[in-house]
Amino acid sequence: MRKMLAAVSRVLSGAAQKPASRVLVASRNFANDATFEIKKCDLHRLEEGPPVTTVLTREDGLKYYRMMQTVRRMELKADQLYKQKIIRGFCHLCDGQEACCVGLEAGINPTDHLITAYRAHGFTFTRGLSVREILAELTGRRGGCAKGKGGSMHMYAKNFYGGNGIVGAQVPLGAGIALACKYNGKDEVCLTLYGDGAANQGQIFEAYNMAALWKLPCIFICENNRYGMGTSVERAAASTDYYKRGDFIPGLRVDGMDILCVREATRFAAAYCRSGKGPILMELQTYRYHGHSMSDPGVSYRTREEIQEVRSKSDPIMLLKDRMVNSNLASVEELKEIDVEVRQGVSSSSSFGTQITLPPV
Amino acid sequence: MAAVSVTAGRLLRLRAAGAEGYWRRLRGTGLARSFLQPASAGEDAAQTRQVAHFTFQPDPETREYGQTQKMNLFQSITSALDNSLAKDPTAVIFGEDVAFGGVFRCTVGLRDKYGKDRVFNTPLCEQGIVGFGIGIAVTGATAIAEIQFADYIFPAFDQIVNEAAKYRYRSGDLFNCGSLTIRSPWGCVGHGALYHSQSPEAFFAHCPGIKVVIPRSPFQAKGLLLSCIEDKNPCIFFEPKILYRAAGLNIMSSPCSVLNDKKKKMEQVPVEPYNIPLSQAEVIQEGSDVTLVAWGTQVHVIREVAAMAQEKLGVSCEIIDLRTIIPWDVDTVCKSVIKTGRLLISHEAPLTGGFASEISSTVQEECFLNLEAPISRVCGYDTPFPHIFEPFYIPDKWKCYDALRKMINY
Repeated sequence: MRKMLAAVSRVLSGAAQKPASRVLVASRNFANDATFEIKKCDLHRLEEGPPVTTVLTREDGLKYYRMMQTVRRMELKADQLYKQKIIRGFCHLCDGQEACCVGLEAGINPTDHLITAYRAHGFTFTRGLSVREILAELTGRRGGCAKGKGGSMHMYAKNFYGGNGIVGAQVPLGAGIALACKYNGKDEVCLTLYGDGAANQGQIFEAYNMAALWKLPCIFICENNRYGMGTSVERAAASTDYYKRGDFIPGLRVDGMDILCVREATRFAAAYCRSGKGPILMELQTYRYHGHSMSDPGVSYRTREEIQEVRSKSDPIMLLKDRMVNSNLASVEELKEIDVEVRQGVSSSSSFGTQITLPPV
Repeated sequence: MAAVSVTAGRLLRLRAAGAEGYWRRLRGTGLARSFLQPASAGEDAAQTRQVAHFTFQPDPETREYGQTQKMNLFQSITSALDNSLAKDPTAVIFGEDVAFGGVFRCTVGLRDKYGKDRVFNTPLCEQGIVGFGIGIAVTGATAIAEIQFADYIFPAFDQIVNEAAKYRYRSGDLFNCGSLTIRSPWGCVGHGALYHSQSPEAFFAHCPGIKVVIPRSPFQAKGLLLSCIEDKNPCIFFEPKILYRAAGLNIMSSPCSVLNDKKKKMEQVPVEPYNIPLSQAEVIQEGSDVTLVAWGTQVHVIREVAAMAQEKLGVSCEIIDLRTIIPWDVDTVCKSVIKTGRLLISHEAPLTGGFASEISSTVQEECFLNLEAPISRVCGYDTPFPHIFEPFYIPDKWKCYDALRKMINY
């Protein structure tokens, strides 16, 4: 009970709160953890895959929920700011794909490395930067993580190498980072992400070859959100089994909307790489609610019904919430409070982002 | 200042007068230090640039090619492609997203009209697109490849430089890929940042065996594109994306917005096919004191500079649109410099190694004794194309005017 009160007060500290709700939360008895069944991953050249059950602690659950909700709110705030023309240029949002960035981070250590393409705001957050720094960077202000000079596609943090505009160009880079990991001998791995569109770029296959040849600790991750800009995967790829495209590299196909599935698969993949067996490929099947970028309404190549269906059946935040509430890991009110806090936090970060000065020339 | 006050009257979305004043001061002070200071706290820091750095000046209508129609740049490109596919049964268009019409609407309606075996999408693979295009061209069919942004052309650089450019030479004219044309949106657009604003013509200028062409307007674009497609050498056709649609003003907003001054970027373009010769520069305005050379969007900038010079300094400028980057029209430029004695070249691409350096070098070789002042190059800085600093980066009319003034007073 005391432990739970301490946890609750930690969660609630630093934000203006209504006293009544604090009392309400403190009086419930929650379970400490719960076991969940997760979907089995399709495997390529692997005898065994990640486990089909996993244990989620209350603490972790609340943490993931908060992180996913923060990413969601941050992306929606970016959408709003873009429409107000406070953010200019290109802005690629990842709402719908929160389970990927939060789940991946849950499966690795902060000392591991990560590199991705331009849909990078979620990863920038999970890799340690604050919402304030991210929004300031989007609006081109000095308080931004790249001093306002990079914008949406060029955000960096410790062990997070961006944020890359040219499709597919980050994959050989990721293989190079993995080489450095192996060379340094600190048991670190590199997560190298790319999308379903980039999967058809030549340099990806060059990176596969080098990583396999030299047994680099590189986890290649294809974030398959079914559309490369406006082109659906069936129209772009001869083989849409992206987890098999590494050919000689073992692969697994993961449900990218289920954060626990992503976490387990990442743990499995990281363990595989750390044992020195070489690279591995993960395909995360996920979905983005927004269009490719803010200039794309996102409905000319897919139906609104499809987007609605995913939102109602597979939304990652909703899935986690349902699981937690149904197993008594948290209450609906508690999660609602987190929602409110997150919303307030993102709001205040965005006013910071729009007020501070422009970077010097 | 006339252009600014006209456009200021039409700035519908300004929220604070303070911001408008900030940008007016920016335009008015040229290279004075004052405009380099950050916005003061009182102004609406969220307000950003609402005015283009140039004003599109359409050419007068020509009657010599038959009936004309009002078209903007992307429509004139569609018209050229339509004419090509109609005339040449072997012509095919391919690239990323061209089937639905393209991200800039250059290929709208073509798939429906000519079929999906002639207008088709490729996966996301620039090297593959160009390599594939070379293959088609070698068999004798006409290949019109699109690279979605010039910034993405670099994975295909090897194919262009090592394969396309050298095919005829290395096979002793047994084979060639002359029927290949690569089209690509080019140049700054107001919000493009590093990877949607580049002008890579200088990289390709260094490669014998290909032609590089850049139009300044819808009428020029159609004629030049048709010439590129019919030319017996592989050509790269860069299309200034900032000129594609309308938006005479407010072009700094998102690409999807349709704006009031659409009509300002339109020209009367002949409906029938016509050709504008390659490797021929055009003297748009004759003058006697200074030669100004540019291509693409920058031509409109130097046109304004010439007007300013005439008005404020009484200087008569000769304006040349280079049109073809390689092989470039040395004779026209040199003839002009011999007459005026002063040359200013301007482009958005970075200064070092930019194409202005080639022009400068050749002109000083050919016209050394005719020069009254060192040749001036007003270009982008030697940095990656910036996101938020774009207004400071581009060689706008004030920088050009300042350089021109220094040349006159040399």
